[in-house]
Amino acid sequence: MPATIYRHSILVLLLVMLTALSAPAQQADAENCNLCHSLALLGIATPSDGLRSFEVTAEAYSHSTHRNVICRDCHTDINVFPHPEEVATVECYKACHITKPFALTGYSHAEQADAHAISAHGFNSEYSAEKNEAKPDCKYCHSNTFRNIIKDEVLESNSQHCARCHEGDGLAGVILHVSSHSGHRTAEASIDVVELCSSCHADQGHMKQFDVNLTQVSGYERHFHGKALKRGMNEVANCMDCHRNHLNLPADDPNSSIHPNNIQQTCSSNAYCHSDATAKFAVSAIHSEPTTQNNPILFFVEWGFIILTAGTMALLFAHIFLDFGRWVGDIWMRRKEK
Amino acid sequence: MSRDYTRFTMSQRLQHIFMFVPFIILVLTGFPIKFPESEFWSVVMSAAGGIEKARVIHRFAAAVMILDFAFHILYLGYNLYKKRPSLADMHLVPNGRDGKNIIENMKYFLFLSDERPRFHRFSYIEKFDYWAVFWGMFIMAGSGIILWFPVLFSKFLPGIVIQIAYIAHSDEAMLALLAIIIWHFYNVHFNPRIWPANKVWYKGTLSEEEMEHEHPLELEEIKAREEASK
Repeated sequence: MPATIYRHSILVLLLVMLTALSAPAQQADAENCNLCHSLALLGIATPSDGLRSFEVTAEAYSHSTHRNVICRDCHTDINVFPHPEEVATVECYKACHITKPFALTGYSHAEQADAHAISAHGFNSEYSAEKNEAKPDCKYCHSNTFRNIIKDEVLESNSQHCARCHEGDGLAGVILHVSSHSGHRTAEASIDVVELCSSCHADQGHMKQFDVNLTQVSGYERHFHGKALKRGMNEVANCMDCHRNHLNLPADDPNSSIHPNNIQQTCSSNAYCHSDATAKFAVSAIHSEPTTQNNPILFFVEWGFIILTAGTMALLFAHIFLDFGRWVGDIWMRRKEK
Repeated sequence: MSRDYTRFTMSQRLQHIFMFVPFIILVLTGFPIKFPESEFWSVVMSAAGGIEKARVIHRFAAAVMILDFAFHILYLGYNLYKKRPSLADMHLVPNGRDGKNIIENMKYFLFLSDERPRFHRFSYIEKFDYWAVFWGMFIMAGSGIILWFPVLFSKFLPGIVIQIAYIAHSDEAMLALLAIIIWHFYNVHFNPRIWPANKVWYKGTLSEEEMEHEHPLELEEIKAREEASK
């Protein structure tokens, strides 16, 4: 009798452990993909790609934004087992089975993908294949490592940013977005946004191939917004607040948020920012480094101060050293006299 | 017989205190933003309670300093109006004696002469300090107020003025801080002839000895005047 109890309890313990271990990965795995894909050694070796792992760790998957989306919603052409050798890459704009709240249409990222496609980051037919490759696609910015960091304090301190993009959606839009982010437990801190954009835009070697301002990031960092953000002031504008999140257009595009005609609207677009911004205020907020070409007045003011400071301090230092030298000299001479 | 000579009145000493206390607070709450990546200024920033609080403290201290300076301007105006001093009695106005003193001091520094220049009430060093603060107040308060209300000022000033204010505030602050901690502190603390400190800022008086050493010409004049009135 005790032996039976012992045996049963082991069985129960095993079951509990199995359930506990597999639970996180099972959340959206209705088709049991992780039966195989949780195996650490699952993968292939091809001459072109080398070793390629197909492992989906339960930890990463269950904490990802897409943990409630079943695998085949995105991996649409995997319909047979064993899977075909060549499968299409995941496209973010495809509709998946999740429906929008209060709507019957399938959810997709098509709106964002469309904005991205016509933005400066989108495909440009005049560019070579490599040059187009060098631009960020959806997954460059929305990689799992970036999106999935769970920071509650960040979520709270950044909720004011939601209103900047969702102003047109009204209160319902804001609530939806905030609840969606809270549900997903994801939010980007402003400083992370700057870091993400800087990963390309601060890389002069990378950016040289494009016709853009190479001092954007350093210019932002010397401006008040950049400095205050580094000191933890989260309500200052990060890159996306002025340059938009997906529809990033160059300043000479009339639809751009930073086009001279629109920049006043951008600065004043919500109450958190400069809601009463004037046109003259708006154009003063540029953040490139001043040069003799783009802003000669500022360039000379800056150098004027450097020369004034260096010159003044040189004279004062000289005076101090001479004064101190005379004092030391007097002591030395008095000793010699003795 | 040793006696004390009044150098600064109570009002003047208070004006100095209401200038330097806000100055220290302004440096501690401003420089962490000028150098956002500096570890040293990070410590200062957290001591001030973070950037949000520091910004409020900075503006409060600025208001105190500006009021102090405004009081000083009124004080100057009142005294000029009431006493109608001659140019020779306005001891802070730079004059030919300063040029002469600079040359004498350089000769003394370079061992070309053993005579220290005989300073009057204010040496050229002290005049420089006074006028440096005078100029600095206009630059710092002017640019600071523009940065405090940038949108308001953009209504009647060109946009470039805000950018200039941003640079001027940051760079003039650096100049002011360096001038104070290097130049002013040397002259009133670290100068071995003064060390450990010149106490006139709170005592308001100099001893006969100090007067003889630092302001012999003024002492001579005071004594001559006293002789004449006897």
